[in-house]
Amino acid sequence: MRSAARRFGRLLLAVLREISDESAYQRHLAARGRPHSGAEWRHFCEHRLRAKYARAKCC
Amino acid sequence: MKLLGHLVWAAVAVLGAYCLGGIAINRGEPINSIWLVVAAACTYAIGFRFYAKFISARVMALNDKRATPAERLRDGLDYEPTNKWIVFGHHFAAIAGPGPLVGPVLAAQFGYLPGTLWIIIGATLGGAVQDFVILFASMRRDGKSLGQMAREEIGKVGGFIALLTVLLIMIILLAVVALVVVNALKGSPWGTFTIAATMPIALFMGIYLRYLRPGKVLECSMIGFALVIASIFGGQAVAASATWGPIFSLSAMGLALSVVIYGFFASVLPTWLFLAPRDYLSTFVKLGVVAALAIGILFVRPELQLPAFTRFTDGTGPIFAGKVFPFCFITIACGAVSGFHALISSGTTPKMIAKESHAYPVGYGSMLMESFVAIMAMIAACVLQPGVYFAVNSPAGVVGTTPAAAVATISSWGFPVTAPEMATLAQNVGEQTLFYRTGGAPSLALGMAAIFARGIGGQAVVGFWYHFAIMFEALFILTIIAAGTRVGRFMLHDLLAQMSTRASKMGGISWVVVSTILVVAAWGYFLVQGVRDPLGGINSLWPLFGISNQLLASVALCVATTILLKMHGPKYLWITCVPLVWLVVVTFTASWQRIFSPQPSLGFLAQAEQLAAGPQTAATQALIFNARLDAAVCGVLLLLVAIILVDSLRVWYGILKGTRDSQVSESPFVASQLRAEEL
Repeated sequence: MRSAARRFGRLLLAVLREISDESAYQRHLAARGRPHSGAEWRHFCEHRLRAKYARAKCC
Repeated sequence: MKLLGHLVWAAVAVLGAYCLGGIAINRGEPINSIWLVVAAACTYAIGFRFYAKFISARVMALNDKRATPAERLRDGLDYEPTNKWIVFGHHFAAIAGPGPLVGPVLAAQFGYLPGTLWIIIGATLGGAVQDFVILFASMRRDGKSLGQMAREEIGKVGGFIALLTVLLIMIILLAVVALVVVNALKGSPWGTFTIAATMPIALFMGIYLRYLRPGKVLECSMIGFALVIASIFGGQAVAASATWGPIFSLSAMGLALSVVIYGFFASVLPTWLFLAPRDYLSTFVKLGVVAALAIGILFVRPELQLPAFTRFTDGTGPIFAGKVFPFCFITIACGAVSGFHALISSGTTPKMIAKESHAYPVGYGSMLMESFVAIMAMIAACVLQPGVYFAVNSPAGVVGTTPAAAVATISSWGFPVTAPEMATLAQNVGEQTLFYRTGGAPSLALGMAAIFARGIGGQAVVGFWYHFAIMFEALFILTIIAAGTRVGRFMLHDLLAQMSTRASKMGGISWVVVSTILVVAAWGYFLVQGVRDPLGGINSLWPLFGISNQLLASVALCVATTILLKMHGPKYLWITCVPLVWLVVVTFTASWQRIFSPQPSLGFLAQAEQLAAGPQTAATQALIFNARLDAAVCGVLLLLVAIILVDSLRVWYGILKGTRDSQVSESPFVASQLRAEEL
């Protein structure tokens, strides 16, 4: 029971990380082999947010 | 073991049928909301286990050995194989908007039964099928958008019209959701202050994320949430203040202009500074509130006070005109079938699907979840006393301009309510009045507050819960307005670029400003029209939005039908054709009635004619123009979809006759190398 709750908690956190773009940022760092920095986050945001807010949001 | 499985599913089917029968047959006494919850859950389970499974196995032949675009085109950004439940959560967060919350609340004017049945049946056989098939089609085509697929499968005309339809829908959507916010916040210093406070909070979050703690979105959103909760308490103090209260007590027109100005700035400011942090926050709040509402309903199990049917199934409803057919289906919109979902199913989601079989829970399952949100909204609206529900939602132009006149009219319909009762209710939630708040948001907030307060805090905190619910609705509606205005700008550019090569070169800050003004002016015009409308605005704008949304669903189903026809010939056409035919009948009937009905509260042209026959003032002239404009917009939408439909029929006829290429335009098969442990 406890392990199922822990698994659910981990999954929930992973969903929140995906929605918040934190996972995408980790993938961005891994793909480029760069460490996290303020400049890298800003660089990532530029591409990510431009694409994200060019798409229709649902009603 | 297999026998046990069959027995369990048989029990689910019997239980679902029993609950559906129970809610359909019950008359004259309040019914517990748990009947609706169980009926919906069992129907969704059966639809998911059998119908969606059949579609995925027989029709789509989903194949996990086939590499998806996420694997083949993996770039670590857009294309990335992702765990199916994470994609599910991501997709659900993207499709869940204000539609399934507001639509059912408005449709409750017919009683709980018509809307509930349509939400359950429409989602299982229509909405979820549409989302699933479009997701599958896009996944097999490298994640192409609906517009691209329409262009390739139907033709250039289809692609262009799909784009134009989406832009028109976007304008109407932004106007109508803005009107919902305006009607919820007019004369409400508590609500207005809370929402105004979310703006500096978003700016703070933007700066925090960019410079103070880059990349810490969850942490930043938690701080933002704490600040928003503090602003609700702040709003209570502001409303009680003799100095600040009047400053934040705005008229409907003042609020409408504020929303227009907000829409402009929110969409031209850098996305990292305002839109993105606000979007993160509103998405988390939205998911949290939906989960809390589900838990609250299961915990409290409130009784529904509205009857199964009201007298307004005959088309004389005060919130919006029109008979239960076709207007119940138009009004529910996103809770059962949403054309907008096709844009999400052919947007980010297909680029994240790791294995083809994952499209089954993501595409079909997410829509069932959205439909369940609509059921919860229906319950929240129906737990109100019918008299209170109609007093909150009916416009002054229908029930009378004073509380005494309004309660007399509503009581004469057989839904007793008194002015002191409404005054006490308003006082309990910290408002001056709850009359004439058309749009659904306040009545939904009242229902939610009643459910939450029974769970936590009791009557003493009902005002907090009411304003929490209003904050939740307004927060994500205003985020949609900012994002939608921005997207509208891009669509305008695409549309102009398709018409002229010169237009495609337009860019720079001046173009950003001009195009934003054009988009804001377009939805702002309809918003102001809604505010001035003596029938409350929702009467004309929400059906217009519903019609356009369902017409977009028709476009998506045309594309889906073409693809199924190319894959299997006519064998499985019924899967998409049945919902398509239904939507075409519903939307065309509704559009026709909205334009040509001789009843002035329903037909735009009859309304214009009635106004033209009376004394002429500048205000009357404007109302006449607006009614004719609404008729024209409705007509244009109808014409656009008729063109796509005729174009599709021509393509289908050609395929069936063998005179047209029926080659399936899927990406070639590539064997998947992805291992389960990678997900």
